[in-house]
Amino acid sequence: MRPFGSYEHKNGKITAMKKTAIIILRNQKHEVKAGSTILSALQKLKILPESIICVRDGELVTEDIILKEGDIIKLVSVISGG
Amino acid sequence: MKCKKCGGKAVINMRQHNMGLCKDDFLTWLPEQTQKFIEKYKMFTPDEKILVAVSGGKDSLALWDMLQILGYKADGLYIALGIDEGISYSSESQRLTEEFANARDLKLYVVNIASDYGTDLPTLAKETRRGRDKPCSSCGLIKRHEMNRIARDFGYDVLATGHNLDDEAATLFSNTLQWNGDYLIRQHPVLAERDGLARKVKPLFRFYEREMAAYTLLRGIEYIYDECPFAEGSTSTQYKELLNQLENQHPGAKQHFFTKFLSAKKKGLFAEPTTEIVPELHICPSCGQPTSGHDVCTFCRMMGKSI
Repeated sequence: MRPFGSYEHKNGKITAMKKTAIIILRNQKHEVKAGSTILSALQKLKILPESIICVRDGELVTEDIILKEGDIIKLVSVISGG
Repeated sequence: MKCKKCGGKAVINMRQHNMGLCKDDFLTWLPEQTQKFIEKYKMFTPDEKILVAVSGGKDSLALWDMLQILGYKADGLYIALGIDEGISYSSESQRLTEEFANARDLKLYVVNIASDYGTDLPTLAKETRRGRDKPCSSCGLIKRHEMNRIARDFGYDVLATGHNLDDEAATLFSNTLQWNGDYLIRQHPVLAERDGLARKVKPLFRFYEREMAAYTLLRGIEYIYDECPFAEGSTSTQYKELLNQLENQHPGAKQHFFTKFLSAKKKGLFAEPTTEIVPELHICPSCGQPTSGHDVCTFCRMMGKSI
């Protein structure tokens, strides 16, 4: 059985979909490539790892974990001003 | 990444220590380190009465939580400033603080500036010169005045605040940029009691802001996540971002910046306070609190102008 979301119909053909994960920071969703680390995704998004902590499925995770297809990583901003 | 202590799965990587820790080891390590710094800097002893200034934010709630874990007698003080700005900022942070205290059966003082003084921070921000220029400056003045008043009136030995290393490094950066000599001399994790001013301590001064966020999350402490509407775009936030860029390239840069400053002070690089820099304090005829002037203090002047 084909995993849901991994293939799409395009011009009458079934083609593999790009495998993605989602990174959310302050209600903004960013689609990133699965298969690379969170750190690499953060670098592409120009987000400093020093300014956030990463949560996956309610659990705190380090930035070196490899994103799997369908992962949703919530970034918690840690900077408070004033 | 593996936990440096047990080899399990790390939940946080602290690059400045070259150390990752799992949930259990991190939740043991952080209070242990806090205790170490409380002792090293002689902040307070288990016999003393501590008043923790609690804002509903991650740092102050984490501090209050850790002091309970470490067995200290610590009560809380929340100062309601009446900040709403469309997000009910003050009422939400008060609710979270009260929930935290009630769930743990802790004593919490709530000072309501509007009820006690007939004005609030947004009004002061609009109506006074100090507030118009910088609402955060009025906020700091109110907090310092009220923290000291409650500590004095209810017999607390020491006032503890949740300032973390990022707060201290940003303040140091700001004071250095402006060569604020008198502030540089006074910046320290422990300010001794003097002339009616309670001793002030910052037990979290060695922890990065993200460690405090991780601690509250792992402990399941709910805190106010929204930024104070008056602090958005503040210079302290900009300095923190700049320091984080530096930290990203050079892990430990923020820590070194602040701890080397403390070492330099200890070695006498900065002059000892003189009477010119630390003026003699007098009693404010209006509120009875110490002030550097001979007339009413800045707090009473600001409140008087607003009412």
